[in-house]
Amino acid sequence: MSRTRALLVDFADPPRRASGAGVLLCCVGLAAVIAMAASFERSAAERARLDGQIETLSSRHRPAQEDPLRAKQQAEVAKMDRELDIPWTRLLAELESASTDMSSKVSLLQVEPDADKHTVRITAEVRSLPDGLAYLERLQQSKVLRYPLLESHEHLKDDPEHAVRIKLVAEWQG
Amino acid sequence: MSPLWRDEVAIYLAPRKLALARRLKGLKPRIGASTEIVVPDGGADPAATLQRLADVLREPAWQQAAARVVVSDAWVRFGIVPAVPARLDADAREAHARCVLADTYGEMLREWRIALEEAPPGRAAVVCAMPGALRAQIETALAPASLQLRSIQPQLAVAFNAWRGRLPADDAWFVKLEEGWLSAVHLAHGGWDRVHTARLSRDAGLDLERMQAFGRLGADGRMFIEAPAWMRERYGRMNTNLEWLEADGGDPGPTHEISLLLRAQG
Repeated sequence: MSRTRALLVDFADPPRRASGAGVLLCCVGLAAVIAMAASFERSAAERARLDGQIETLSSRHRPAQEDPLRAKQQAEVAKMDRELDIPWTRLLAELESASTDMSSKVSLLQVEPDADKHTVRITAEVRSLPDGLAYLERLQQSKVLRYPLLESHEHLKDDPEHAVRIKLVAEWQG
Repeated sequence: MSPLWRDEVAIYLAPRKLALARRLKGLKPRIGASTEIVVPDGGADPAATLQRLADVLREPAWQQAAARVVVSDAWVRFGIVPAVPARLDADAREAHARCVLADTYGEMLREWRIALEEAPPGRAAVVCAMPGALRAQIETALAPASLQLRSIQPQLAVAFNAWRGRLPADDAWFVKLEEGWLSAVHLAHGGWDRVHTARLSRDAGLDLERMQAFGRLGADGRMFIEAPAWMRERYGRMNTNLEWLEADGGDPGPTHEISLLLRAQG
């Protein structure tokens, strides 16, 4: 249901000038805003200062954290040191000597040292498994190697001489 | 005192009558002083009434306050400005309103001040014109009493706002009677769509019969009459078909016209 509208026809000028009380009230409001902003600023600065103190105190009681990059570099240096510690000269001389003792019945294919575990993996081909076992016994007498073990052996069917591939593992003595 | 709490003096100006009431502001506003003065030599020229007002305002009881002035319809003219499809600025709206007034009243209103209703878009607006000198004379009368002019409204607008809650929004007449003067407004869509003003003849009863016949031209012929108590008593019995507007609890102010202003202000 529609209603009648109020009718406003007025010959007086609408008030345009701000009254004294209005100006005063506006000034009071502005002053309150400024005071509030200043108070907020002081509180924020105080909080920042206290945060800084807390951080300082915490850092004193916190164990020093290792730099990841530095730790990585240290690990690489250590690994390099261990690899440099491998007695390549003595190891290769001993393996060559053993092959010579076996009258060239052993053909050395691969030597893989593991610096971390202090072991060396030896891959070789022999004419027969007994030759491989003899080579193992020879290495067991070595002063450079310790606890040589036959890890696996494999008859090479494609080889016309039916050679046997053996894999040995041993620790070296530093 | 804060302007928000400043007392208000309501002033009604009519050709043969002057009424004032001081409204004391506070948590519970109340009427502090009131007076009603006959202006025997008053007439179409408001000078006599304004001179009497200036005399009354010398009394301290009416000084140092805000002033709301209600002007008799005898000194103003109304018009209805039809809606235009174009969007007009304030100057164009005033020019349009002056054209409407010129069509109705001729060039006599050229120097008059106008007040134009801020009607919703697409709706007709009410325009009211008042002699330019009257506004200046009112200010001149108020100044020595340190009265700050807050509003000058025509009596018909004040009376309509006072009673609009009881009026239907469509197809009804709101008629306001005052001594020697009649104003009639036709309502449509909650606003005014026609307005007429006329002098009352010596036989006011005859005028009322004419109004009644005029009202029957409408769809339902409802006609609401606003009038001072003495006119309601004199003519109310003569025309039972007219709906006389009366306040439930009686007039809240000291005079009928001041009461209308107080009720229109809420």
